[in-house]
Amino acid sequence: MIVGKQKSISEIKSIIAPFKKVLILGCGTCVKTCFAGGEDEVSVLASALRLACKMDGKDIEIEEFTVERQCENEFIQEGAPAIARNEGVLSLACGAGVQAVARRFARTPVLPGVNTTFIGVLETQGVFTEECAGCGDCKLAVFGGICPVTRCAKKLLNGPCGGSQNGKCEVNPETDCAWQLIIDRLRILGQMDNLRIYVAPKNWQTSLSGGPRKMVREDHMI
Amino acid sequence: MSEKPISRLQVILSKGEFAVTAECGPPRGANSKVVRNKGELLNGYVDAVNVTDNQTAIVRMSSIAACTHLLHMGLEPVMQMVVRDRNRIALQSDIMGAYSLGIRNILCLSGDHQSFGSQPDALNVFDIDSMNLIRTVQTMRDEGKDMSGFELNDPPRMFIGAAANPFADPFEYRVIRLAKKIDAGADFIQTQCIYNMARFKEWMKMAREEGLTEKVHILGGVTPLKSAGMAKFMNNKVAGMDVPDALIKRMAGVPKEKAVEEGIKICLETIAELRDINGVHGVHIMAIEWEDIVSEIVKAAGLTPRP
Amino acid sequence: MTENFKPKITLFHCINAFGDADELFTNGSKTCEIKTVKMACSSMVKDVFLLRAFEAGADAVVVMVCPEGQCRYVEGNIRAKKRVAWVRNLLDEIGLDGRRLSLTHMSAGDQAAATRTINDVVKKLAELGPNPAV
Repeated sequence: MIVGKQKSISEIKSIIAPFKKVLILGCGTCVKTCFAGGEDEVSVLASALRLACKMDGKDIEIEEFTVERQCENEFIQEGAPAIARNEGVLSLACGAGVQAVARRFARTPVLPGVNTTFIGVLETQGVFTEECAGCGDCKLAVFGGICPVTRCAKKLLNGPCGGSQNGKCEVNPETDCAWQLIIDRLRILGQMDNLRIYVAPKNWQTSLSGGPRKMVREDHMI
Repeated sequence: MSEKPISRLQVILSKGEFAVTAECGPPRGANSKVVRNKGELLNGYVDAVNVTDNQTAIVRMSSIAACTHLLHMGLEPVMQMVVRDRNRIALQSDIMGAYSLGIRNILCLSGDHQSFGSQPDALNVFDIDSMNLIRTVQTMRDEGKDMSGFELNDPPRMFIGAAANPFADPFEYRVIRLAKKIDAGADFIQTQCIYNMARFKEWMKMAREEGLTEKVHILGGVTPLKSAGMAKFMNNKVAGMDVPDALIKRMAGVPKEKAVEEGIKICLETIAELRDINGVHGVHIMAIEWEDIVSEIVKAAGLTPRP
Repeated sequence: MTENFKPKITLFHCINAFGDADELFTNGSKTCEIKTVKMACSSMVKDVFLLRAFEAGADAVVVMVCPEGQCRYVEGNIRAKKRVAWVRNLLDEIGLDGRRLSLTHMSAGDQAAATRTINDVVKKLAELGPNPAV
């Protein structure tokens, strides 16, 4: 899922400062699963902001609404009446959702309440880890199913750097060295010879480096 | 390895001489005099001088510029090039520029992560890795082509170096990595500084068994210790460093005024051992911000005069 | 702080910690007003309920849970503890002071301990004052 973290109360307060009527708009998919912006998080944030604004002597009406996904028009539309009633929208969706809502409701300020970070998995309860960088040219087969583009801090494709120690990355001692993981996995798979293969420089054109991407499925367009 | 003489360092190594190289860190400023002063301290005691490239991701004068200043003094520079800060376009461009200025040796490295440096907010590059860089320099030299296959007018022909760390993990993989670097085009290797001689000898044994010492010149890295504190710091805080407890105890066992002397003694013992290891063709002295000690070490090790 | 400040305390309690709060606070009712919220297990405490208690005017909120290792549903009191910690941080961020929210472990039917807890909260509120967000 896409993982994000809610912005701090102080940052959110300054973001909604210009408004007297604000809608906190949640999203029921990715941000719900990482506890950043689902219906529950919307209600907690609304309550916290009401208390905070009372303390600041700020007059504000906070409405709460959550849609299934903010990245699809069909679901965004359900929020239309609530959006119309408010001066501003604090969207707790990922950056894509915020932009989708902003695009469709161009006359209402739509602001982000979440810092979107990465594509990841739920490693264990309460712990989310980054796994995929969206490079557009997946080579997981060569690396035993572990991505060096995402999980190696230097995106090395030909083996670990000299800073790998005790299976940990030099950048953060709590981060596993991706190449240690790859070597261990290839050993289990009996594919250690993969390590001898020279991997040529990556073609970054399929990644964000080539500009914002678009995928079109003609077979789904009527 | 290319047959034609490419650089003075290559000639010395090809002749079977025990080579001596040292390191020069460019200043955090724009004064070439600092570089020339360091050059003076090393001149005549080393066969080549490595010039670091924004080492530990701290912003310094560029390696290519500092190399050029040393070149003008008659020294033989080894330009270190990391892939952390520049994409393939800039790297190839700088390789050609360096060659045009007279630089003939290059050491291809990944580079310490920017989070260690003076400007951790920076976006890193890592467009290609150090292995790709080695191959690129080799292709430019032996085929006269750049990464797109374009035939260069007057291609750069460099003597290619790479780093090796026998002390980083995973240990069994380190020799595979060495083999890979040689296949990619490395002509010489400079290792991370050696304190754990036993582990280094084990790595050399594995390298010999794979026939790698026939294909590449290995220079063992050494760094003289100044204190027990420095030994402990390097072991605990510097990635990929292995300083055995026995050595730390030895440094701690002498009075503070004698620590430097002891550190140099250990360094000289290491160099003596290196000269006896089959497959080691030289020593790379990394005296960080202590360039004046290099001449003393080279003299005491009986490695002067240089050929 | 006014002399007439009679603190409003909302008490979330697990029915397994004690059955009926009303009996326990005949003393307490003189120094404060108590609203109780009964839960089948303390893990039913959700962050939003704690916040809404403050929105409704509570000066302090107390969560009483079973002693460690004795939750009838095994993890309930652990979850409650984590959620209380989370909301305390949130209260600090808002500026409401996380000390207004507390959690205590309570053996079943220990009236003396319960009364002590309430008295401690009242004392703390003498220092913190009434809820500034009312």
